[in-house]
Amino acid sequence: MLEISQLVKRYGRHEPVLKELDLSVEGNSVVSIVGASGAGKSTLLRCINRLIEPTSGSIKLNGCELSTLRGQALRQSRRRIGMVFQGFNLIDRLTVMENVLAGRLGYVSFYQAWRRRFPQADIERAFELMERVGIAHYANKRADELSGGERQRVGVVRALMQEPDILLADEPTASLDPVTSEQIMKLMQTLASELSLPVLINIHNVAQARAYTERIVGLRHGRMIFDGPPERFDKAALEEVYGGIEAPDESVAPSVGEEQA
Amino acid sequence: MATGPARTWRKPPFIASPWLRFALTVAVLGYLGWALATLPFDWGRISEGLPRAARIFGGGFPPSFERLELLATGFKESFQIALLATLLGVLLSIPFAVMAARNISPRPVYLVGRAVIIVSRSFHPVIVAILFVKAVGFGPLAGILTLTLYSIGFVGKLLAEEIEEIDWGQVEAMRSVGAGFLATLTYAVFPQILPRQIGLSMYQLDSNLRASAVVGIVGAGGIGSTLMNAFGRYDYDFAFAILLVIIAVILISEGVSGWVRKRVW
Repeated sequence: MLEISQLVKRYGRHEPVLKELDLSVEGNSVVSIVGASGAGKSTLLRCINRLIEPTSGSIKLNGCELSTLRGQALRQSRRRIGMVFQGFNLIDRLTVMENVLAGRLGYVSFYQAWRRRFPQADIERAFELMERVGIAHYANKRADELSGGERQRVGVVRALMQEPDILLADEPTASLDPVTSEQIMKLMQTLASELSLPVLINIHNVAQARAYTERIVGLRHGRMIFDGPPERFDKAALEEVYGGIEAPDESVAPSVGEEQA
Repeated sequence: MATGPARTWRKPPFIASPWLRFALTVAVLGYLGWALATLPFDWGRISEGLPRAARIFGGGFPPSFERLELLATGFKESFQIALLATLLGVLLSIPFAVMAARNISPRPVYLVGRAVIIVSRSFHPVIVAILFVKAVGFGPLAGILTLTLYSIGFVGKLLAEEIEEIDWGQVEAMRSVGAGFLATLTYAVFPQILPRQIGLSMYQLDSNLRASAVVGIVGAGGIGSTLMNAFGRYDYDFAFAILLVIIAVILISEGVSGWVRKRVW
């Protein structure tokens, strides 16, 4: 269970990106977080695994306070939090298998990591998961030889290798074509229910959020302004989350006509 | 479209103020004239020296390859110096480059790393070689130490800059799985800088071979020492032979290193 309370993130003296945010996720629910760019979605996820330091507030995962951890303890909690990235963030020059096994880096010694001597159980788990998502035959290919959808599967498998208690996904489908992105969403949904894993997904695609998640959280300017099941996320809610964002400046356009005068 | 008087355009001058432009021109010309007038050129000595130079060159022809053995020994030592110095320098440059990369090192470590690199880059190898020859005596050890330091400075600086430009997402991913600092380095940082590292090592080997001939002149071993001795004994034909072989070796090493660098990614 993830419990976030009074979370604030402020860069320097600017207006906070997250303003006293409260959010709790129970059981194995799949939650999507929607909001315009700059609403704080990415910051929220990165505060949970402390890729970004929260300014104040509390984040508890299964009763363990994450926001104050340091060093070894922080790394040990990060092992229990899987993350899938928008740009996949694979190690391009290493093989698919090395990328997948990298999910175990929090568990093995540096020597094992360096010499690629991962425990047998890890290797078996890697093959099982890769077979499950259909990338096992790429094990010895370099990660940058794969297509976008295949790369994101590697990203998902790497996160699942951690045996996480929760999965964070930061716009996992934003770099993919529409068909592939549906496949990845479907995959994450089914894997989450198979492994009974709570998932937090940042997403821009509201249709996908409705189709694949059971709860939608809407952020705007660092505050939660919607929280409910997809059925309740109606046009008014959509307008509230995304509306009123300034359109790109189009005042340049009319001057084109003058040349022909 | 309105038709008025023809419009002209000229590139605006680099220095906007005409007065400043004029003053700068006068200052530069004035300084050049003064410098030429005051430097002690002894024209008598120069005209005397020209025939002497001609005699040296004349003595160099035809180049003599009689003492091939001495030549081979000198080059063998130069190769050894260059290879060892490159290996040591490139290996040692990795930790210093990591230290000197702003994005992965804490500030105090960064400053120490930068300081080491700046110091090892601030003197020409010849000056460093003079110091090391004083410290450890004549011979190849002084050459190896000199070129190792030179390699640390050069490779370390370029590698540090490469680390500062890596794709940060891969580092984030390794942090998010709970990897420690060393594991993050070996998985997220080193694979990204590896091609550059190999290219730099090849270039450095090439460059060290060249420099090993130069530092030999001040007593740090290798072909440079052989060359210096040949000049000292007025063996101009042998000295000329050495010079020719140096040129050939440099040409070959440049070709080989260029070919290898092209092959690596």
